[in-house]
Amino acid sequence: MGEWPDALQEIIDEFSEVFDDMERFELLFEWAERIDQIPPEEWSKTTRVVGCQSEAHIRTEFRDSGFHLQGASDSQIVQGLMAITGIALHGLTPREVTGFSPRYVEEMGLMQALSPSRANGFLNMFMKVQDAARAMLG
Amino acid sequence: MRAQFPILERVLPNGRPLIYLDNAATSQKPTAVLAAMQEFYVHYNSNVHRAVHTLAGEATDAYEQARVKVSEWFGVPEQGMVLFTSGTTEALNLCAMGWAGVNLDAGDAIVLSEMEHHSNIVPWQMLAEQKNLELRWVSVDTTSFQLDMDEYRELIKGAKLACLIHTSNVLGTRNPVEQLVEIAHAAGARIVLDCAQGAAHERIDMAELGADFLAVTSHKMCGPTGIGALLIAAGVFDEMQPVQGGGDMIVEVTKAGATYQDNEHRFEAGTPQIAEAIGWATAIDWMERVDIGAAHSHTLALARHAAAGIAAIDGMTIYGDHDLDDTSGVVSFLHDALSSEDIAHMLDSMGIAVRTGHHCTQPLMAKLGVSATNRASFYLYNTQDEADALVDALRMIVERFG
Repeated sequence: MGEWPDALQEIIDEFSEVFDDMERFELLFEWAERIDQIPPEEWSKTTRVVGCQSEAHIRTEFRDSGFHLQGASDSQIVQGLMAITGIALHGLTPREVTGFSPRYVEEMGLMQALSPSRANGFLNMFMKVQDAARAMLG
Repeated sequence: MRAQFPILERVLPNGRPLIYLDNAATSQKPTAVLAAMQEFYVHYNSNVHRAVHTLAGEATDAYEQARVKVSEWFGVPEQGMVLFTSGTTEALNLCAMGWAGVNLDAGDAIVLSEMEHHSNIVPWQMLAEQKNLELRWVSVDTTSFQLDMDEYRELIKGAKLACLIHTSNVLGTRNPVEQLVEIAHAAGARIVLDCAQGAAHERIDMAELGADFLAVTSHKMCGPTGIGALLIAAGVFDEMQPVQGGGDMIVEVTKAGATYQDNEHRFEAGTPQIAEAIGWATAIDWMERVDIGAAHSHTLALARHAAAGIAAIDGMTIYGDHDLDDTSGVVSFLHDALSSEDIAHMLDSMGIAVRTGHHCTQPLMAKLGVSATNRASFYLYNTQDEADALVDALRMIVERFG
């Protein structure tokens, strides 16, 4: 078990209580609705996550309150993962973001999301976030 | 039949039995094919050609016998040839670089269609850029999912080559290839057919069809991955130039230059796919024992049944006409609210393997006005229960998430 921020740990706990995969998907769909969403008209080459099967976009910024992630995807599963990633990283410093492990998805029972052979969209998305944080470090 | 495909008994890590409906991407392989490949590596693994020892002789015989088997199965005409490649993609690239690259000049036209797989688009785009060729595109009708034959008749006029797909990997449409060949030849053009999908569902006879080139692959017709062929008609060999140099394709090499073999080996530089050729020949043996017509009727019935079931689900659109008797086993579909990726993830969690994405046909996706579809593709070993399981799963997904 990792040492996760409280808000993320609550989500991990929520996922660990699900009965089956379909409930897990339902939770992701619910989380997808809570994302700070990038409107489609603001999707661009800059926001696009390459290597995702679905259209997926993220935008990151460092505010007074710390790291902030916006995202959007036509896949609710991907968008749900983005929303949770946004919570996981919310308020962190860019340096903390660069050192953050993406393995929380494993603890949520979403091992498949880390499998490089298919939903590598998640890892691509996560790496894009970390690249942005690295750029903020200068 | 299913007992010959042990993988179909597989239980996935989540405890669900596998329902494999991704056959248009690759078919499963019967035990006979696996055994033949193992037999090669266990008993007579050796490089082919140019050696006098026993194993090399056995391997060479088996490899060249595979060529004969492929030639017979596809009815390659007298004086025609089987040039082994890594698959359909390499076969089409060989046709582009080895034939068209030599025989076409700036301003010459090539006819493609909007239905093509990227492997029958990109090699021609690369060549067109190199040689300043014109690419003409035959439209696909988005209601009938058929090629516009009138437009083809117009576009082929004055063109040097038609490069067309036998059977669509997305729509299931089996094109009227006999007519496509006839029209191309009447216009004085050569024609290459991408038979990656078609060869899995019917026995294609090249001599009867009269095509100049057929690109075929092993792995969609129960053979191993890594091998396919460009089948060439009589007379074409002398018009081609090798695109890869290396061992096995030469007669003599001096510091001043090289002379090339005057047989198929001219186009097969380096150590070939020996086990794969043997595996493919065994797959053809296996296919010979199957009534391919009856097998295809079975596949088609499953696809039609699934398509009807999916079409009845709220919000689902089917891309393809499954009322036709000459479609393949693919059923492409899309839900108006759920993304294709989400549907594929959910089906996977239920053990059902389908493909999702653009299926290497982005111009066709653009024509259909979508960026992706889900595609279930049936084959001779699939069952009615599996087709029902797909439809039931989709109904449940849409009721719960749609």
